[in-house]
Amino acid sequence: MNTTTRTSPVSRRGFLLGASALGTSGLLAGCLGSEGAPEETTGTDETSGSSEPSGPVTLQNSQSDPAPREALETLIGDYPGDAEINTVAIEQFRAQLSTYLTSANPPDVLTWYAGSVARDYAAEGLLLDVSDMWEGDGACANFSDALRELSSAEDGSQIFVPTNYYWWSIFYKKSAFEEWGVSAPETWEDFLGLCEDLKGRGVSPLANGIGSTPWMASGWFDYLNLRINGAQYHRELLAGEHAFTDPEVEAVLEEYTKLIPYFDPDMASYSYQEAVTPMVQNESAMYLIGAFVTQFFPEDQRDDLDFFSVPPINPDVPSAEEAPTDGYFAASGTDNPEGTKELLAYLASAQSQQTFIEISGSSNLPTHPDVDTSGFSPLVQKGIELLNSTEEITQFFNRDSSDALQATADDALTRFLADPSDIPGILEGWQAAAERVWDQ
Amino acid sequence: MTAAAAAERTTAPTSGGPRPPMARWARVFRRVPWVVWVFLLVPLAVEAFWVFWPAMNSFSLSFTRWNGVGAAEPVGLGNYQDLMSDPTFQTALRNNVIWVIGFGGLSVVIGLALAVLLNRPGRGIGLYRAAIYLPMVFSLAVTGLFWRVLYSPDGLVNFSLETVGLGVLERQWLADPDVALYAVLVAAVWRQVGYIMVLYLAGLKGVDPSLEEAAAMDGANRWQRFTRIVMPQLRSVNAVVFAVTVIDSLRTFDIVWAMTRGGPYNSTHLLSTYMFEQGFTLVNLGYGSAIAVVIFALAIVFIVSYLVRSIRQEES
Repeated sequence: MNTTTRTSPVSRRGFLLGASALGTSGLLAGCLGSEGAPEETTGTDETSGSSEPSGPVTLQNSQSDPAPREALETLIGDYPGDAEINTVAIEQFRAQLSTYLTSANPPDVLTWYAGSVARDYAAEGLLLDVSDMWEGDGACANFSDALRELSSAEDGSQIFVPTNYYWWSIFYKKSAFEEWGVSAPETWEDFLGLCEDLKGRGVSPLANGIGSTPWMASGWFDYLNLRINGAQYHRELLAGEHAFTDPEVEAVLEEYTKLIPYFDPDMASYSYQEAVTPMVQNESAMYLIGAFVTQFFPEDQRDDLDFFSVPPINPDVPSAEEAPTDGYFAASGTDNPEGTKELLAYLASAQSQQTFIEISGSSNLPTHPDVDTSGFSPLVQKGIELLNSTEEITQFFNRDSSDALQATADDALTRFLADPSDIPGILEGWQAAAERVWDQ
Repeated sequence: MTAAAAAERTTAPTSGGPRPPMARWARVFRRVPWVVWVFLLVPLAVEAFWVFWPAMNSFSLSFTRWNGVGAAEPVGLGNYQDLMSDPTFQTALRNNVIWVIGFGGLSVVIGLALAVLLNRPGRGIGLYRAAIYLPMVFSLAVTGLFWRVLYSPDGLVNFSLETVGLGVLERQWLADPDVALYAVLVAAVWRQVGYIMVLYLAGLKGVDPSLEEAAAMDGANRWQRFTRIVMPQLRSVNAVVFAVTVIDSLRTFDIVWAMTRGGPYNSTHLLSTYMFEQGFTLVNLGYGSAIAVVIFALAIVFIVSYLVRSIRQEES
């Protein structure tokens, strides 16, 4: 079902037979994973034992937006070896990822995120160990320690090849700040004061879009937790080592309550893209979001954008920023581990990263230290500087935890934003829902 | 087979008169040409393999916990017990009841009213009919996207309310848990009424006008003529409309998904959207399958009771 289509003259009967055969294997793999898996693994072991693998290395790709897709297709087109690319829309990719990895003939390389999802698959033995790429003169050997940590499985081996990442911060328009005669705040009190000031001028101080994208409510939760309790506590909380009913979490929501009057009153109707519109018209002022937000602004406003980091609240915790990391992992069931690693190394190289960022037109940052960043925009340069100077890097709520825990956060935090009067009750409900997730 | 054969052997010698059931079946079997059997059995095999077998699989999956990786872990009735205590599931179940009643009731009442209203010759009637039927050409997903724009905070709905001086009613329609489900319902009914109207218009063409005239002569007023003379003649159309509406409302998924994705905070989930979210967004396949089994059971109850009723009606 996930094989790449090759055009060859096929009779109708042949097509039907082939289609039903594919359907059967897909159903068997999909529905009877429990029984089919062991035999399939022995089958692939036999083939991987032979030293001459056949056929191209396949890349299963979830970058279905036009620009990133074109960038990746260009990269694969320029690849000196034999490689094929297969692009699947992101939602379908997410739903079928486990089927890809457990199938008898999995795609060799897959696009995905670093973090808990990759770690879970690694714990199931589904991901190729790429530790040797992180040693000696391997393609990832010079990547930062933070990235190495993010790409490691629980047993300490590396199972991920990060190729780009982006930072989260509070974005604003320089011209709008100038017009209002305000400047980026240094301290948390300044920030709250700035919000009050802007609100007095009839501007919504904080843009947000939690309508069809309720996960945006976790952005502020993450940052307040990082600033109040620190990155270590944040990671442990998401891993289930602390309860959401802890006084530490209650303190986070107490602080969050102070921000509620400053949010765009329409935020519950907007998606994160739509929330940019009032900001374009100077009706809202600041937006805590990832650097991908730049693409939603009209082209003539993009150079006007600037950002500042969420100011420190508790001086005792180390600085931390969120920087979700994208890249590739490989299926352990590949029949061509050597070719797979060659393709991974090619994708991770400085040259490939530069090409990808240029063609895809994103504000993403390269992970390779040798990429020449001098041609990047001042905004991106500032983003690199921010992440290089911070002590801790976390990702985003669902990447540090899981999609299932994100769903509990969406429910609890949007409920809280609509009615913050009963924080203990909301946290109890959140904890109960989270326990159901951790128990599974 | 063996039981039937045994029955044949024991009954045959005692009562010679009535033909044993086995022989009658065999004759029927031989009378039907083999081509018909091919046409029957091939689709049955395809259906069994592509529909029934996966359905049975999701039935057995509902007794397991499985995220698509590794072996499914059997949990017995655990998923169903979790469903009982899951507040979102209860919301979804309640919403489904509201949906069947609201969607079914409103679209039938409005559709019938429009059909009666437009069932007369007149200038521009065709235009009205076409305009009302027009939404039906959009898919529910497109309808959802279209109404999302109307419902947006500075969209047409709020603008109209403000213009006519009803500014107090303005709200964030899809972000307010008290009204979001009904806002989606209005959009779904908006699309469905044209369809129901066309069905009733076709039915009204078969109504005998002389009966109505005779009733008018006897002094029946408009309402009496409608309820006593016209409605009974629409019985067959009513049956079709009932079946179409119940099935359409039970399978509703796309418009809710397109407009709210079950939010704000799970208040607009229907069973179908909650099943989709659990099964395919969170890859919680065992739990999602358990919800699918509940939907299946509900649909079967409706369809079986409907079939039983319509067969009884035919017999009487």
